[in-house]
Amino acid sequence: MPAFKTPFNGYAVKFSPFYEQRLAVATAQNFGILGNGRIHVIDLSPAGPIAEIAAYDTADGVYDVSWSESHDSLLVAAVADGSVKLYDLSLPPTSNPVRSLSEHTRETHSVDYNAVRRDSFLSSSWDDTIKLWTIDRPTSVRTFKEHAYCVYSAAWNPRHADVFASASGDCTARIWDVREPGSTMILPAHEFEILSCDWSKYDDAVIATSSVDKSIKVWDVRNYRVPVAVLNGHGYAVRKVKFSPHRASVIASCSYDMTVCLWDYMVEDSLIGRYDHHTEFAVGVDMSVLVEGLLASTGWDEFAYVWQHGTDPKAP
Amino acid sequence: MSNFINPKIGSGPPPKPWERAGSSSGPAPFKPATPGSTSDVVEASGTARPGEIVQSNNTTSTVNTLGRPVPPRPWEQQQTYGGAGYGSTLGYNSGGYGTAGGYGSYGGMGSYNSGGLYGNSMYRGGGGYGGLYGGGSSMYGGGMYGSSYGGGMGGMGMGMGGMGMGMGMGMGGPGGPYDDQDPNNPFGAPSQPPGFWISLMRVMQGFVTFFGRVAMLIDQNAQAFHMFMSALLQLFDRSGLLYGELARFVFRILGVRTKGNKVQPPGPHGQHGQQIEGPKGAPAGAWDGVWGNNAPN
Repeated sequence: MPAFKTPFNGYAVKFSPFYEQRLAVATAQNFGILGNGRIHVIDLSPAGPIAEIAAYDTADGVYDVSWSESHDSLLVAAVADGSVKLYDLSLPPTSNPVRSLSEHTRETHSVDYNAVRRDSFLSSSWDDTIKLWTIDRPTSVRTFKEHAYCVYSAAWNPRHADVFASASGDCTARIWDVREPGSTMILPAHEFEILSCDWSKYDDAVIATSSVDKSIKVWDVRNYRVPVAVLNGHGYAVRKVKFSPHRASVIASCSYDMTVCLWDYMVEDSLIGRYDHHTEFAVGVDMSVLVEGLLASTGWDEFAYVWQHGTDPKAP
Repeated sequence: MSNFINPKIGSGPPPKPWERAGSSSGPAPFKPATPGSTSDVVEASGTARPGEIVQSNNTTSTVNTLGRPVPPRPWEQQQTYGGAGYGSTLGYNSGGYGTAGGYGSYGGMGSYNSGGLYGNSMYRGGGGYGGLYGGGSSMYGGGMYGSSYGGGMGGMGMGMGGMGMGMGMGMGGPGGPYDDQDPNNPFGAPSQPPGFWISLMRVMQGFVTFFGRVAMLIDQNAQAFHMFMSALLQLFDRSGLLYGELARFVFRILGVRTKGNKVQPPGPHGQHGQQIEGPKGAPAGAWDGVWGNNAPN
């Protein structure tokens, strides 16, 4: 499948949960250090180039994007100026963003939409906090402040409406229940900063974390003293980790070593695929919920790739 | 606010593949989910605090269960070193490494650290950001950022494995209040065009943000730092300063006497005198290993 060239450096890519051909790509100018950002919404076509449906400019880089699970046209974006912006594809560009939520005092680094209850989303920020938002309110519902350093990622449990996990630079991953005042579990998961976390879609107690220590660790939160698996193979910090929506033990990851890897943590030779199509840091990866084996990645080489596992991402 | 998104949930996306599968393999680790909307559930639990604004520094009082020192954030250094760089001719260094004298308001100075460039342990060990931000703590100094006295001096020293390199900028000027309006904010009236000092303050804030984000990238991975430095070196390279000359220049600033020709790297023919004056050969071949062995260029 052809690649999509973005004018800025890619930061995140997400498949739409509604349409199998649709993706959103978050980008930031100058590697996200200084400058503007842009969100691209693209459509794949079976034969032919990738078509851009919409593009939204922001005054600062966009670090992450998440599709709404309740409205097929709604997007949530994490912007480097600390704001969380909502975009509605069904409205004209002049009406977008439909909402700009400015409560974080530092860069917002991730957003995640609740796929179970479908009325709320999380944002995590360099101000050490995670905020819970609902789409019917202009302010956050509550703030989770326990991490001692930047929170790089927060992810809802795909099987439990009230539980989520967060990954932070304070070297811990924490499990939270929105009904509890504090975190319910603290996993000192790595010796170095944890950049990403994700839940297994098939076991609501299994979580994966990725870290600056180049490893991915899989944990069972019922017994988190030792990891279930440690996946080594990346040459640099692992920027994002994502469980497959289709296979219980398959994990995709992308790294500063410019590769995207596919793992099966249940088998001994856990590395089942390595793609080195990016020529700069690979910082965004996603797996399609609707098409099994369909992967997407983006990176600082200003390309977003979509490909079927086992095929060459660069193949036309 | 009138343009609420209709909270009524539509038909929803197609069912997830995992919804067809059974649940987890053991006792449920969590309390069962409460029915109802998220806001109702949170409010019923008594934990809701709508619209709470948290300054990042406020959370440092929370329990750090690891007992491990957490590195200071780059932007926090403006508190630690607020105003310290003002008019100074010395470089400040947060980690206890040596510094070289600066040059008045130019602020460009080289700092050096001893190894450990790519190891995150370098600042995990409690040494602070010492080497990386070496000479230029005053970059984040109060004089530069929002001070009403101005005259701040910025410098950012970068150490790399024994070679010091300076990059700095001097700036100053009286400060003033500045607003930080989001140009993309769909609510609220268009603001007045900013005045000169406000624009200047914004530019300065941009500098702080810039270095904060570079620092975060370094934090996440030293390779990003490598890339940043490569870009910087290429810049110098293009401007005609080759590596060797640059190194010699920096050494001279640092007061280190170099003996360029004492240890020659073995040439292709093993002969002295046939050395081609090139960027890499100049200071005793010591620069070949600067970036480590496997770092791509």
